[in-house]
Amino acid sequence: MKAEKSGRVKNRKSRLHMGNKIQEVLMITPMTIGFLLFSVYPIFWVLRWSFFNYNGYSVPEFVGLENFIRAITRDQAYWNSLKNTFIIAGLKMIIEIPLSLVLAVILNNKLKGSAVFRVIYFLPSVFSIAVVGLIFSILFSAYNGIVNAVLLQGGIISRNIAWFSDKKHAMFVIILVSLWTTFGLNMIYFLMGLQNISRSLYECASIDGAGKLQQFFYITVPLVAPILQLVLMLSVLGTMKMTDLILVLTNGAPGGSTEVVMTYIFKYFFSYGDNAARDVQFGYASAMAVITALILGVVTVIYLRISRKMQEIEE
Amino acid sequence: MKKAGRLVSRIIIYIFLGTIAFFALFPVIYILLSSFKSNQEILVGGVKLLPEKWLLDNYKQAWNLANFGKLTFNSIFYAACIVIGSVITSITAGYVFARGTTRFTKVVNTMLLCSMFVSIGTLSLYPQLSLAKMFGLSGTLWGPIIIRVFGMNATQVFIATGYVRQISREIDEAAQIDGCGFFKIFWKIIFPLCKPLVATTGLMAFRTAWSDYLLPYVFTISKKDRWPLVVGVVSLKSSGEAVSSWNLMLAGISISILPMLIVYLFLNRYFIEGLTEGSVKG
Repeated sequence: MKAEKSGRVKNRKSRLHMGNKIQEVLMITPMTIGFLLFSVYPIFWVLRWSFFNYNGYSVPEFVGLENFIRAITRDQAYWNSLKNTFIIAGLKMIIEIPLSLVLAVILNNKLKGSAVFRVIYFLPSVFSIAVVGLIFSILFSAYNGIVNAVLLQGGIISRNIAWFSDKKHAMFVIILVSLWTTFGLNMIYFLMGLQNISRSLYECASIDGAGKLQQFFYITVPLVAPILQLVLMLSVLGTMKMTDLILVLTNGAPGGSTEVVMTYIFKYFFSYGDNAARDVQFGYASAMAVITALILGVVTVIYLRISRKMQEIEE
Repeated sequence: MKKAGRLVSRIIIYIFLGTIAFFALFPVIYILLSSFKSNQEILVGGVKLLPEKWLLDNYKQAWNLANFGKLTFNSIFYAACIVIGSVITSITAGYVFARGTTRFTKVVNTMLLCSMFVSIGTLSLYPQLSLAKMFGLSGTLWGPIIIRVFGMNATQVFIATGYVRQISREIDEAAQIDGCGFFKIFWKIIFPLCKPLVATTGLMAFRTAWSDYLLPYVFTISKKDRWPLVVGVVSLKSSGEAVSSWNLMLAGISISILPMLIVYLFLNRYFIEGLTEGSVKG
């Protein structure tokens, strides 16, 4: 009798348990389907079509590795776009990381008005990247842009600079703009890292006679290293995936010389802007997408390896 | 002597901070002020910041001639759908990931984590579009809305998961003893406790939706009256009459950044919290 009762309770419990599990699976199913369709399916789509010659209208033709061979051996423009991407990411990082870190250190010192500065610095990060591109193409316009006007007025240049008609100037503007959009965000990351450092460390150091600079290099920098790693990775990966800004700001001008990897491939998927004349080639675009994804993956893995090694050395 | 040195270093620090703040603010202020200038003044250029005469013509023209009224409505509709939808989906997903016990949940969670490292960024737009065509959703904003709502934004979901984890499990257990099931605990107990989370994820979704460019662009490329504001404003740049439409462009940019600016001024705390927490926990 007793055994039967406990059995029934157990049964009821397991049925309840089962019901909970079903509810749980049902709740996450819509998002899982969405995730599979919008994030996973595109990857397989790209993998599949990378072996075909296909432009949406023609009969798809299986070409084996031809698309990959074309990209790797014959498409100089692809490698140029990849090179540009790395140049932009690298130069941007060299300026941005120290700038954000220094700003964070200053603002961490309970300065008067530091909250206001924080809000101001973060402001550029909230706007649409496409609109930001548009704003700066107006500021740097060759004939009536304010930047040229100010430089002329100040006697720094004697003639208007056509910012977007040679590669050097265009790249300079691209780096400046992408710096503008993210330095505040990275500063916030550093601030979070700094807030975890105990004040007593600095007090001890200053009792031992360490100056502000010494404190910065011997306490602050090592202790924000984990955050630094995160910021570096987010910054590099973010820059590698940059698309909107380039499309709006230069659209590859002059003559495709400022194309980055994402925009270059994007234009084989969609005809965009002035380059509308170019044919779309889904198969070839897919192959380049696969190669790029692999390169990004390798960069990430190498980066994680190196930073782990560095941590070990430090310890 | 020492005091004087301190004062000098103070001043230097403030000059440095002020300079950076100037560069952060200048582009926005310049655009907002220029949007009141006459087209004549805009085309001549020069170093003057303030308009000679404050005019509202640019806004009137942009609103009526360039159809920005309609585009603004589209943007509001687009943003509203995405904010409401993705707040619900990301908090639900966060709850399931934080409290779920099935293997299914764990697999999905791991896949989501991996997707942060294996991703082809904007190159997935074409496959997404071809998928939408199969379902007859291309040419409308519904495709992008569904993608943003159900596509699981990893950052938002991770914030939500982290938040739900902080809620004491004892509350769940008490409800369980009272006979609440998995869904009912969420609906009656956890969701009402997530008000701050609604603010952060909602703001993040609003920022994404309001600034979205490429996704709605490729979906509504040929349907001009369905564009959101950003797509319409950017299209002025590449259209043939770019020079003559500078005033429209300036007014359009102002219309598109003002709502963001106002929201940010009042709720910047949530912005900063949301964006940082998500990335660090992720």
